[in-house]
Amino acid sequence: MTRTIKVALAGNPNVGKTTLLNHAAKTNLKVGNWAGVTVEKREGFLSYNGFDIHFIDLPGIYTLEPISEDEWIAYNFISEEKPDVIVDVIETTNAERDLLLTTELLELERPMIIALNMSDEAKKLGIQVDSIHTGELLDIPVIKTNGRNGDGVKELLDAIVASAEAHRPPKTVRYSEQVEQALGSLEKRNHDGKMDKRALLKMLIEGNGRNEEKASLEKFFRKDINSIIKDERYAFAHGFYNESFKRRKPTARDLTDRIDKVLLHPILGFFIFLLVMFLLFKISFDFSTPFMNWTQGLIDNFFSPLVLSLLSDIGAGKWLPQFFSQAIVGGVGFVITFVPLIGMIYFLIALLEMSGYMPRIAFIMDRFMHRLGLHGKGMIPLLLGFGCNVPAVMATRTLENKRDKLLVMAMIPFMSCPARLVVFSFFAVMFFVHPAMVIFSLYLLGIAIGLLTAFFLRKTAYRGRLSHFVMELPPYRVPRLRTVLQIAWVQVKSFMYRAGTVIFAASVVIWVLLNTPPNLKSQSDSAAAYVGKAITPVLQPIGIKDWRISTSLIPAFLAREIVLSSMGTIYSVDVQKKNTEFHFLPALEVQMKGFASATKESFMSLLTPSIQTLQADEGDQGLRSVIRSSFTPASALSFMIFLLLYTSCLATVAVMAREGGKKFAFLFLAYSFVMAWGVAFVVYQVGSLL
Amino acid sequence: MTIFRERPAREATTEAAATTAAREVGSRITLKDLKVGEVAHIVDFLVENDAMKKIEAMGLRRGKKITIMQKLGRGIVVKTSNSRIVITSDVARNIEVK
Repeated sequence: MTRTIKVALAGNPNVGKTTLLNHAAKTNLKVGNWAGVTVEKREGFLSYNGFDIHFIDLPGIYTLEPISEDEWIAYNFISEEKPDVIVDVIETTNAERDLLLTTELLELERPMIIALNMSDEAKKLGIQVDSIHTGELLDIPVIKTNGRNGDGVKELLDAIVASAEAHRPPKTVRYSEQVEQALGSLEKRNHDGKMDKRALLKMLIEGNGRNEEKASLEKFFRKDINSIIKDERYAFAHGFYNESFKRRKPTARDLTDRIDKVLLHPILGFFIFLLVMFLLFKISFDFSTPFMNWTQGLIDNFFSPLVLSLLSDIGAGKWLPQFFSQAIVGGVGFVITFVPLIGMIYFLIALLEMSGYMPRIAFIMDRFMHRLGLHGKGMIPLLLGFGCNVPAVMATRTLENKRDKLLVMAMIPFMSCPARLVVFSFFAVMFFVHPAMVIFSLYLLGIAIGLLTAFFLRKTAYRGRLSHFVMELPPYRVPRLRTVLQIAWVQVKSFMYRAGTVIFAASVVIWVLLNTPPNLKSQSDSAAAYVGKAITPVLQPIGIKDWRISTSLIPAFLAREIVLSSMGTIYSVDVQKKNTEFHFLPALEVQMKGFASATKESFMSLLTPSIQTLQADEGDQGLRSVIRSSFTPASALSFMIFLLLYTSCLATVAVMAREGGKKFAFLFLAYSFVMAWGVAFVVYQVGSLL
Repeated sequence: MTIFRERPAREATTEAAATTAAREVGSRITLKDLKVGEVAHIVDFLVENDAMKKIEAMGLRRGKKITIMQKLGRGIVVKTSNSRIVITSDVARNIEVK
């Protein structure tokens, strides 16, 4: 049987732990959540020299003193799960700061390895370190690594295996004479067996029962015990730093400082930020649209007919093919078409994150945001919301204060996503002379409602001062393409997993409702129609008087653009009845050619200066004429506003419930419904008078 | 902004305590008073709270040399050794420098 070695990767934020993990475990990575909290948990697995190594990437922390959620997680993991080896990743250029955490980790007296990462950057800045000497000082392996090219990763793995086998703790940290004496006498009085240094210190600080040691130390140093211990740790870290690290005069001027002169410039920095945002949207929309169309074609014209022809070959009646094309292709298939967009967004976000620009956005925007009572860091999730609300809600994790986090989360669903755009362009082209203006106004309306919501919440539930912020700006680094792709892939994988589970289940439920009771003649007798008819009176004041429209809004809860396909089904329009003839090889050839032209189109679209996707397209003519008779311009506008604001899609609600709690998600659902109804009501009533 | 010095102390919240502490130092210079490009050394932390513990762990410690890289709104970018840290002015006014 192979032995499993559990390895905890610990270190300050931005020291390159994740990159190192990607090098060691390649694609064998898993992202999840730490139990009970919403901090991301990354794990990696690999087989090495007959051992199964299981890496757990702890959240980036500056100290083991559990203050924030991240620190609690790291602290709990190390003390409860007892990893076989702790790898302390140090950013060599910032070793003096990083060594505080190292000191605290050493106190745990568990097998440990130091990885001196970013050794190439350190060399450039004139920082020299004698790793052998450092290792001898602490009696642990010290390995120089380079996250950029993977140098030192093999040595690190060897050291991990050797360390786990030897199971040897590092040399005990020695503090000042007085503190050591106090700890010695505490240990003598304690009969619970051998304790590690950290446990002893904890006992000294907490001083359960009689604790003369604490009192005499406080008297000696004229400081309280917490300050004494803190200073001792800093002193140890500092002494250790001076012993091992040598600084010469830097050979080159710091590139990051020079870039920051421009990117953080009070005026220039702001315009560069706008440019970066524009590019982010342009690339993620335009580059992925051809692939999204291709994916949809692949499902509609290849997979779906393929499965249907297979089903008819095995003689699978009427029920199964119907279930397949409506529930699976209609529900799950639709969500899958968004994979190219989501993948692209994640790719660009990972790129921004790895380059070091992301936290700078928070700094640049805090100046405007804090006047509105919002935290600068909230800007990033809000921007992501325009791409897709789901990752945007997840990105609120970067906000430490729960109030700030929920505030931003309540704004995100009002940021219009591409799914809504699909419906907007369909209706706007049909009923309005200037569709682009209408669409643009809808985007602005969403932002306005978001700000109004934030304002309202700041005055009621989330009162109080805006929390301060303390944040590190990492040095700029050129991200490695492979690492960025790996990170994006891991996220896409988990998105597809959701599509296969939650969204699949919901699609089945809605399909069943649309087809209950069995053997319906028309869908107007189905359970779904019944529900649609029941809610029609509620929607009547906003101009939705037809049960078929209100019914189509129900499946739209899965994903907003489904409103079109379900209207098609309910209005019994042949939206896309293709010929039933299906030949595998020619169809495959068409798909491959389609992929090639989609790739070409993607790259070509990047050459144009504007965002192509925002230009409304023609769409389906059959459905158009039927819908035209059911709406007036006023009710069409009110319908679009309702769709913009009402609830969120299922995926967003699910992620909101996970990040902000079920109560929060449901309250928000109710609130957004009321808001959507109210605004749509005013628009429809005023519009009807004109 | 030096308005807070005239404002009377409110309840005994940490906020008010911080204000009082800042007023007591009178002529002392805090990190908040420094201008872009100025270099100084950290002398002391005027209050003790989680934010202070965090910035200390992040590398802003007593005796460290700091450079003000940029100021925007309430945010200040401080460089020490090789790390750059953003702190807001409500934190910066509790860090004494010389």
